[in-house]
Amino acid sequence: MKIFLVVFAVLFLISTPGWAVLGEYENSVPSDQQRMHAQLRQVAGQGYTVSQLRSTNGQEVREYVSPAGLVFGVAWQGPTMPDLRQLLGSYFPQLQQAAQSPRRRRGGPLVVKNKDFILVSGGHMRSFHGFAYVPSLLPANVPAEVVK
Amino acid sequence: MKLPDAWQTKLALCSLLSTVLLGLAGCGGSSSSSTPTTPTTPVNNTQAIEVNLGPANNYPNGVFTNVTVCVPGTSTCQTIPNVLVDSGSEGLRLLSSEVTLSLPAITDNSSNALQECTGFADGSYVWGPVVSADIKLAGETASSVPVQLIDSLDPTTYAVPQACTSGGGSDENTVEALGANGILGVGVFQQDCGNDCTSASSSPLPWYYLCPNGVCSAATVPLQYQLQNPVWMFPQDNNGVLISLPSISADGAVSASGSLIFGIGTQSDNALGNAQIYTTDSSGNFHSIYNNVDYSNSFIDSGSNGIFFLDSATLGIPDCTNNPGWYCPSSTQSYTVTNKGLNGTSNPVTFNIANADALFAGNNGLNAAFNNLGGDSGTSPSTDYVDYGVPFFFGRNVFIGIENEPAPNNAAVGPYWAY
Repeated sequence: MKIFLVVFAVLFLISTPGWAVLGEYENSVPSDQQRMHAQLRQVAGQGYTVSQLRSTNGQEVREYVSPAGLVFGVAWQGPTMPDLRQLLGSYFPQLQQAAQSPRRRRGGPLVVKNKDFILVSGGHMRSFHGFAYVPSLLPANVPAEVVK
Repeated sequence: MKLPDAWQTKLALCSLLSTVLLGLAGCGGSSSSSTPTTPTTPVNNTQAIEVNLGPANNYPNGVFTNVTVCVPGTSTCQTIPNVLVDSGSEGLRLLSSEVTLSLPAITDNSSNALQECTGFADGSYVWGPVVSADIKLAGETASSVPVQLIDSLDPTTYAVPQACTSGGGSDENTVEALGANGILGVGVFQQDCGNDCTSASSSPLPWYYLCPNGVCSAATVPLQYQLQNPVWMFPQDNNGVLISLPSISADGAVSASGSLIFGIGTQSDNALGNAQIYTTDSSGNFHSIYNNVDYSNSFIDSGSNGIFFLDSATLGIPDCTNNPGWYCPSSTQSYTVTNKGLNGTSNPVTFNIANADALFAGNNGLNAAFNNLGGDSGTSPSTDYVDYGVPFFFGRNVFIGIENEPAPNNAAVGPYWAY
């Protein structure tokens, strides 16, 4: 059993080179850390934990994880936009659809309020920040506002 | 990949292009001494700006101006109209489709041309090479300034790196998509990226790129080869900018004419007067306090076409049905927010938010300038900023103090805002 688990973990590390991904089980924080050349800090919240990755080039990503290990929210800040394709995983197409629809709103923040996917991306050059979460994946008694 | 000492504007290429393609002899003097001088006769420091719908007729509250670019050190120049004036970014970016000049590339010493991916908060981006140009605005000239040419080819010369598209938005490489012929970034910083892109101690940010053998990888770039806010490179009137737009009707206006004035307290037309200075943090943000909540990443952005503030649930007003992302209160609402600089200056500011569906439909849809257009900035209470876009500018003098540059009487050092 022990051997099986180790093999399992190694496979995960090999197959998930990116961030922990929204809506999936957290299994790649160590490789995120390596990829970002980041310092990792894990903080316990009430009914969830936050893995905070901070790289030396100023990028910061926070991953909000349920007691079962599910990533229910992500947040970011830094001088550039983060890699949202990796961070959002299967939710990225919802961002693309919202971001690429023609609109009169220009040059400001992007707010996506879909049925089960919320995203806010704001700021300006050198100061980008935002968050995304999946309402149906929020752990019991954890309000959406913790993701920020 | 880091090549701190190897960067050069490719003057050899410049000579060649000038001689062969333009029939001119060489590129002329390339010295760009930045020694401050006080001219005996003040230069014209006032550039006309206009708020209208822009060249693609799709940018409400767009602030536009003309920008003249020249082959460095020559009188071979071109004036590009309809360039967006953006206080939320730094540097000049022009659609390559609108530029007929041959501007010299900035390369490393292996002749790899520097490329840039510029990402915006709404997920959109622009991609293309960095070239060198003299920039002329009013009577001011910034010499040999790194400028981004937004690659408007399809496909682009170098494929857009995957990391550049990871914001989820569109490649704004056409007039239609960008809503402008280019962007003139005159924000509070000297360079667009700054020290975060020079560091050799970490992996380079996905911002500047080199593409040896056609494969693009992120690269660190010394400050002087990054895009520059042209204002701080002027020989005079270089400590900041004043954006002045007139008061307009609450119903909106077809257009509004104003001024982009260079320098703060350097001439008779750019004194601070009654304006208060609000210094920002190192990211260009200040505090906005509303209902006892401190929104600590607030900023002023002439590239944002509305005031983006909280959300409909918090404010108790509905979002629009015809124009998603905008507020549609049944009657115009007035809000008072207290802005606080890092220097402690703290004062209330009041703005209105009207029904955007009605505003856009008014005057047969011809209006372009609105002082009461608002939309959401997030989902409360998680949002942490107010984005004061173009409506904030009408009827105000808004000063942009550039980093490291002193305010009049040394009252502050940039970065700061004053109004």
